Amino acid sequence: MNTLRVLIVDDEDDLRETIVKRLNARKIQTEGAASGINALEILKDKDFDVIVLDVKMPGMDGIETLQHIKKLKPEIEVIMLTGHASLEFGLKGMQLGAFDYVMKPAPLNELLDTIGQAYNKKSGLTL
Amino acid sequence: MKVWDTSHLHDNVPSQRQDTAGQVYDSADTQANLQQIRLHFKQLQTRLILGLVLGFLLPNALLSAYFHFQFTHTLKESAKLNLAAVAESQKNTIDLYLQERVVNLYNLFQSKEFSLNPTQEQMENLLARLKRFNDGFVDIGLFDDKGVQFAYAGPFSSLLGMDYHKEPWYHDLLTEDKNYFISDVYRGFRNIPHFTIAIKQVFDNRTYVMRAALDPDKFYIFLRSISQGKEEDSTLINRQGMYQVIDPAGRNQLPGITDHIPPSVPLSGVEELELGEQKMLMAYTWLKEHHWALLAMQPVSVAQGAMIKARVVLTASLIIISLLISTVIYFTIKKLVGRARHMAEKGQMLQEMLAHASKLAAIGELAAGVAHEINNPLAIIMATSGVIRDMLNPEFELDHSPEAIDKELSVIDAAADRAKGITRKLQDMGKSRVPSVVECDVNALLDEVVGRLKKVEFKSKQVEVVNNLVLDLPHIFAEPEPLRQVFANILINACDAIADKGTINISTESKEEMIWVTITDTGKGIPPEDLQRIFNPFFTTKGGGRSTGLGLSIAASIVKYLGGTIKVNSILGTGSSFTVLLPINEQAQKTLKQHDK
Repeated sequence: MNTLRVLIVDDEDDLRETIVKRLNARKIQTEGAASGINALEILKDKDFDVIVLDVKMPGMDGIETLQHIKKLKPEIEVIMLTGHASLEFGLKGMQLGAFDYVMKPAPLNELLDTIGQAYNKKSGLTL
Repeated sequence: MKVWDTSHLHDNVPSQRQDTAGQVYDSADTQANLQQIRLHFKQLQTRLILGLVLGFLLPNALLSAYFHFQFTHTLKESAKLNLAAVAESQKNTIDLYLQERVVNLYNLFQSKEFSLNPTQEQMENLLARLKRFNDGFVDIGLFDDKGVQFAYAGPFSSLLGMDYHKEPWYHDLLTEDKNYFISDVYRGFRNIPHFTIAIKQVFDNRTYVMRAALDPDKFYIFLRSISQGKEEDSTLINRQGMYQVIDPAGRNQLPGITDHIPPSVPLSGVEELELGEQKMLMAYTWLKEHHWALLAMQPVSVAQGAMIKARVVLTASLIIISLLISTVIYFTIKKLVGRARHMAEKGQMLQEMLAHASKLAAIGELAAGVAHEINNPLAIIMATSGVIRDMLNPEFELDHSPEAIDKELSVIDAAADRAKGITRKLQDMGKSRVPSVVECDVNALLDEVVGRLKKVEFKSKQVEVVNNLVLDLPHIFAEPEPLRQVFANILINACDAIADKGTINISTESKEEMIWVTITDTGKGIPPEDLQRIFNPFFTTKGGGRSTGLGLSIAASIVKYLGGTIKVNSILGTGSSFTVLLPINEQAQKTLKQHDK
């Protein structure tokens, strides 16, 4: 079984780096991208199982990035990360093909659970 | 190029400034607004009613007055004509009556019973014949050429044999060409008022005269019988003004004299005269047969009775119609205006509800924005504290040296600071400031702000600041700190818009009672779709937690509070220009003083 590969996309450096660090500590192969465009560039060269995508980012926002990702590599599961107090963006993301959404601030366990579920779903599909 | 200003925000931000114009409704004061609406509609109602009533009734009254005068004139004339016609017809009747009496007498000359030497019986027969023609005849007498009455029949037998040649009527009859003579009323030998008709006839070259006396009472009754018209009174006078008919009540008296002798030319006419208290209309006409004038009198009030009645009806109906129309106008207008007022009040209430709803929506939006902005640092804090926990867990084999932990803790501190900054700025925006108004020199404030920014914010880039300040710029009364904040926020944005090298141009001028502060940068510009959102709280294009999106929102609310606006011009790729308009004084001073209370 392959190692779980995760890409964290968030413009908040502190948050992104911390999550990357913690996931890596848990033997999850994790990378970070500071913006949507950055994420799409990384995706051209590398494959990931799950992408955690912040909704609100300057430039290309999470929803737009999600659409590009789904066009580029539809098999990757995407989890939307939303800081907004409404479900709106999370739900919109799910309509566009995201696997689930997680509200900020979220304990790491919740994020790990969701990443795990997403990975299981993707593995089920590929198997 | 797109222009945008902050005036559209004025409805959403709580305000103390809407009292400047009378037409602006302050949504905060429902009762005052409703009162204003009521007052407005009350005035409208009064104006409409007055206008309609005047506009309708005035022409109505003028028209009525015109017709009234025209009508009065016509009726006066017609009353005169009417009376004149009555007099004329009575005159004709009297003329005819007198002619008939003359003819009656003539007929006696032709009758077979007539002889120049009649017996008393023959005379009685002649008198009986005369009385058959008319019961006004009293007696009959025959006179020879000496004027002696040689034959007589009637109640005054003493007259037989009397010499009449000195009597005026006998003298007139013989000297005049006319074959007959009608006398005025006189007493004569019998000493009783009467008038006589005498005719002359020549037999064998001797002039014989036949004479009959007529009873004035009977003549009076005849005159009465031909009277026509309401309260119309007819009488006859001679040239001297003596009445020729007498009321039977004044028996045995010669009639009196009237003061009103009508002119002999023209032969008829109508005069208006006053008889005691009463105004009379008098028509006169001279008889053909005799030197008598017929006077027909009628009180003016009777003659013009129809007119007076018509006038009363006209006036009354005008008043009634006016009242009726006024009432209809009043109630119609009242109903219409009431309905309109009801609609306006309803509209006002809906508007207030809408304003309230939009405030609620704005609060909801603000709350969502706050949540998002606070959640980000919270997420960092949680994640970082998790990292520290991981470090302390040997299972993860992470670097857990004090230095590493300290580094993570400073990340937590930074995030907490960010959250604190957001709440502080929100407080600044929301709390009512205690104003400490001083005279501010905007130029000096700008210099100060630029100096401060150059030390920190402008250091990282090659930013050239060009000042174009007008020297004699009027001072304004304001709080310096909020103004500094406004300029600082705009200048920081200008600096952020510049990639690494650029120019910021600051210019001030005074025109149209305002101070214009224009800050222009050579940065990347603002996309048109963002232009209308840049003043919204939490709108930002700067990622990575560098901005809260509150800067321009705070600036806009401060400027609005001072009674000014912010205008924005921006060309994508060329730069943006923010113009802050601040009112010169009295206004700002007044506003702030009001706020002091």
